[in-house]
Amino acid sequence: MTRAARWVALAAVAVGLVTFPYWSAAWETSRFATTVLRDMLVFAIFALSLDILVGHAGMPSLGHAAFFGGGAYAAGIASQRLGTDQLPITLAAAVLVAALLALVIGLLVVRSEGIFLLMLTLALAQIVFAIAFQWTAVTGGSNGLAGVSRPTLFGIDLSAPDRMYVLVAATFLVVSLLIWSLMRSPYGRALTGVRENERRMRALGYDTTRLKLSAFVVAGMIAGVAGALSAYSQRFVSPGDAGIGTSVQAFVMVLIGGAGTILGPVLGAGVVMYIQRVLSSAIPVSETVLGLVFIGFVLLARQGIVGLGRAAYARVRAP
Amino acid sequence: MIEVRELRRSFGGVKALDGVTLTVGDGERRAVIGPNGAGKTTLFNVLTGELPPTGGDVRLAGAEITRLRPWQRARLGLARVYQRTELFAPLSARENVALAVAARAGPYRAFRAPPRSEYAAADALLERVGLAGRENAAARILSHGERRQLELAVALAQRPRVLLLDEPTAGMSPAETARITELISGLDRALTILIVEHDMDVVFRLADRVSVLHEGRVIADGTVSEIRGDVRVHDVYLGKAVSVA
Repeated sequence: MTRAARWVALAAVAVGLVTFPYWSAAWETSRFATTVLRDMLVFAIFALSLDILVGHAGMPSLGHAAFFGGGAYAAGIASQRLGTDQLPITLAAAVLVAALLALVIGLLVVRSEGIFLLMLTLALAQIVFAIAFQWTAVTGGSNGLAGVSRPTLFGIDLSAPDRMYVLVAATFLVVSLLIWSLMRSPYGRALTGVRENERRMRALGYDTTRLKLSAFVVAGMIAGVAGALSAYSQRFVSPGDAGIGTSVQAFVMVLIGGAGTILGPVLGAGVVMYIQRVLSSAIPVSETVLGLVFIGFVLLARQGIVGLGRAAYARVRAP
Repeated sequence: MIEVRELRRSFGGVKALDGVTLTVGDGERRAVIGPNGAGKTTLFNVLTGELPPTGGDVRLAGAEITRLRPWQRARLGLARVYQRTELFAPLSARENVALAVAARAGPYRAFRAPPRSEYAAADALLERVGLAGRENAAARILSHGERRQLELAVALAQRPRVLLLDEPTAGMSPAETARITELISGLDRALTILIVEHDMDVVFRLADRVSVLHEGRVIADGTVSEIRGDVRVHDVYLGKAVSVA
């Protein structure tokens, strides 16, 4: 496929994705499908942001939910306390809080590697979770933050399910494009260098500590966007959004889909959400299925779905 | 260009560097030789900042750099070819060199592809070290000799003022050794080179002056012919290596 043809095909897929609630309206399951697809895309954004760290920069983190939860709470609390449903205001609050959290946590963790990085991010995210769980006056504590209002943008009310979906899908496209172009820029290439050989990067004159911190903040901000979209969609924020379960969920999505790619985390989010939201109502052991799928990928296909696809494509192309 | 004064570095009770003093002039090519464990690689690690010294100081072009981090020293023009190959294994030879070329402009350039000029510069350097035609090969599939050539291209891409070469011909065939020696010998004379090497033919071919390190101290320092004639040097080192030369 030529470059132009590829862009046309991608644009067609993008338009189809954003307009899903309208062309699927005749289906009996359209409303349910729209809700599931919306939540898949929220998690796709979240998984994409985690993959900046895990796949691109080689910094596996088990605390990414701190930024997702931080963004969700910031959007919800800003909306309630300021009495506004203006998207630019609540979304900016989410991005700002997530960025600050990522800066603080990042400063504490970027010098560690491997298992120590995993444990440190996990521990620091649990502090964020504990604050969300116990600071009842602000966060609603264990009851969560109920009644988050859906946003308006330029006077357009986005509270109807189809409009809420369009907001999520459009944001997903913007974020994917952003991350794609970031990763093919000199910045993304430098992150790859850090992943492959940080010592050599330092010897070449790169301040790798600062570079890793910047990646942490960028990933945290995007996770904050996902958190805000989750708060608008569910009209609810729970402490679990900042908890280990959410961090692990994103990590599993990245690994099943294929780390270090754009398509991988998106496909991973699709598979995981499908099992959790669709398959769960059909069969009683869906969590077990998810576990088995995950084990299967870790044991047999480390490069995830994207890796399997590439291998199959190479086999077809080979003479 | 490089002044090292009373440099010390201990590991526990072991004095790897026991007061090394060394001055390398602008554009000079200096070899550091000595038996295994004499402190040569430790000296390089302290010079590049990967190991902090326990005493003494290091100056680069007159500026004190003893407490600077490795990336800051690299920015001041210090480049190193490692003894054990340190590359970006899955990246192509071109990408490996481009990362070094791009270090000057820095990593904070987002939302557009890396400029073609960086890749053009990388290709030119690959050709210069004899890797033309291998631009797209991943570093991990290159032969040992090719990786050493790539290491040299990466170091040169930094446009250094001082080049530290840690056994650039280690593990190479005689033909590869001859080629890389030729290559180093043909580098810009303005470039200051510090080289650790066991192959005495290479040392005598490349170096203007030689410093002999023994048990963490410089025991002799002189031109190639002075060092050849130094009795102490023969005792600790040269005796075995060049007895037939």
